[in-house]
Amino acid sequence: MKLRNGTYHLIKSAIADFKRNKIRTFLTSLGITIGVMSVVMLIALGLGLKNYISEQFEGLGANLIMVMGGSGLGGGGDEGGGFSGPAGMFGSVIEFDERDVSSLRRIQEIEYVVPTYFKSLSIEAEDNEETGYVMGVNEEFFGLMNSEMLEGNVFDKSDLQGRTKVAVLGHNLSENLFGEAGDGAGRTIRVDNMRLKVIGVLEKTGDREMDKAAVIPYTTTFASLNPDKTFWSIYLGVTSEDDVETASEKAEETLLKRYKEDEFSITEQSEILSTVNQIFAVLNAILVAIGSISLLVGGIGIMNIMYATVTERTKEIGIRRAIGATKKDILVQFLAESVVLSTLGGLVGLLLSVLIVMAIRIFFPAAINTLAVVIAFGVSGFIGVFFGVFPAKRAADLPPIVAIKYE
Amino acid sequence: MIKLKNVSKTYFLGEEKVKAVDNVSLEIKKGEYVSIVGPSGCGKSTLMYTIGLLDTPTSGSVYIDGQDVSKLTDEELSHLRNQKIGFVFQSFNLINKFTALENVLLPTKYLKDKLDFDPQERAEELLKQFGIWDRKDFFPNKISGGQQQRVAVARALIMKPSIILADEPTGNLDTKAGHEILDLLSDLNKKLNVTIVLITHEMDIAKRTKRKIVMKDGQVISK
Repeated sequence: MKLRNGTYHLIKSAIADFKRNKIRTFLTSLGITIGVMSVVMLIALGLGLKNYISEQFEGLGANLIMVMGGSGLGGGGDEGGGFSGPAGMFGSVIEFDERDVSSLRRIQEIEYVVPTYFKSLSIEAEDNEETGYVMGVNEEFFGLMNSEMLEGNVFDKSDLQGRTKVAVLGHNLSENLFGEAGDGAGRTIRVDNMRLKVIGVLEKTGDREMDKAAVIPYTTTFASLNPDKTFWSIYLGVTSEDDVETASEKAEETLLKRYKEDEFSITEQSEILSTVNQIFAVLNAILVAIGSISLLVGGIGIMNIMYATVTERTKEIGIRRAIGATKKDILVQFLAESVVLSTLGGLVGLLLSVLIVMAIRIFFPAAINTLAVVIAFGVSGFIGVFFGVFPAKRAADLPPIVAIKYE
Repeated sequence: MIKLKNVSKTYFLGEEKVKAVDNVSLEIKKGEYVSIVGPSGCGKSTLMYTIGLLDTPTSGSVYIDGQDVSKLTDEELSHLRNQKIGFVFQSFNLINKFTALENVLLPTKYLKDKLDFDPQERAEELLKQFGIWDRKDFFPNKISGGQQQRVAVARALIMKPSIILADEPTGNLDTKAGHEILDLLSDLNKKLNVTIVLITHEMDIAKRTKRKIVMKDGQVISK
């Protein structure tokens, strides 16, 4: 289909018509605008939710491997994907001890080995009480978690050897106990009748459990909290992402020497992330499907108007046929009009979505991705063609003699 | 140039069968200035639309330059209309959303091959020749009937057609403007040797042409 200055003429002709029917053009494309907006916004919000959750995980470090008793994250007992209690619910689950820690330490690829004791407890300050999480770990924990300090310092190897009664508080816990988070440093807290000196306060991480934790040397928990000297989980860290696979295989090999296969589980951080991604892919698809309903309604609006336009312009079709337009020329002309109309609507919808997303970004990490843009344009163009083709076909198939005599 | 052989056109008005054109055979040669004249409803318009390839006969054949047009596809018919036939209508039939100049240029947009002339230049030449160049940027509803019909004639001529079919071209014009259009048409016939077929119900107008084809009840009674 080649016309001299064809495309230019078609678009100019379409715009001349839109100018004559400004209100109608506006209302018709408004349907597509709203449709595209709802699809793009739903995708943006879905992405935002995904980003929000991914950020929470990434706070833990991407090259993290979790070794847990029981059958792992899938086995229940986990809440929020962060630090939590025993994976199994049935008591018979194994717990790790220092022997496991030293055998895991022998694996070359593994840089960090952090045994973790975890318990939800009431934590007291001078005149405040707050439920928080006591986390018994070693000094490597802070490196593994990329911890940043708000005040004070973290504990070191000598604190572990000396079983020092010190604690590093999570941001929110410190804030709840002392009013200002930064005020925690240098104060004293009581946990299970044990007095601990707060030597540092961590920056806010966004992780619920981390921000309400009192992090103490794991050896300190051996006194009364953890007389069995066991750990519910061991966190392993590798320097390079490429080593994650090898490291987790070697860790499994090592632990199999002592435990049965179903007594523990090894989960990579990336595995959880990919599960999260899968869930959100489904969620996004559902959101897009819901948004598409309004696009469909918009498309029907376009079809309706195009049918009206064809009837209204029967005479024009007749004139064009008389001066040499083929059926195809007429078909393309009306198709071009409906495509221009719907793409225009799509473009406005996209622009409005971008503005709204920019506004809500202040509170929530919503995002517009390429998919959303492609959908906005692709779908609105497709709607123009799909819903425009029937009216355009009717216009093209009008017998010239009937069209030219139409009054 | 144009040859009709036993052309009939029947259609149904409800239950009633109407024979608009009844077994018409005639020939129009290149460069002729012919009128088809007769009372309204005699089938002269139907005959013109059949010659103009906008309507197809129920039976019989139409030949344009020796070619039987019943065998042509819609696309080929459209190209023939585009390149060989120019229409002038009673109610002008300009497209109101386009300016006078854009209306004149419209047929050039539908040519698939390369034009052998510059459309802008030719449009300018025609509009100047017809004395309406100063109206080129006006929309049709802003100029007089006579001016609109001149724009329509310019549109009919832009593709250098060999036939002009004019259906009651003066029907919506006052006497003066009507005469001017008729003068313009006979001028074109004389100077450019364009075949002109003029449809009219007025004997006065038909008299201006060299040949009259008189129709009555779908039949040609003199040619």
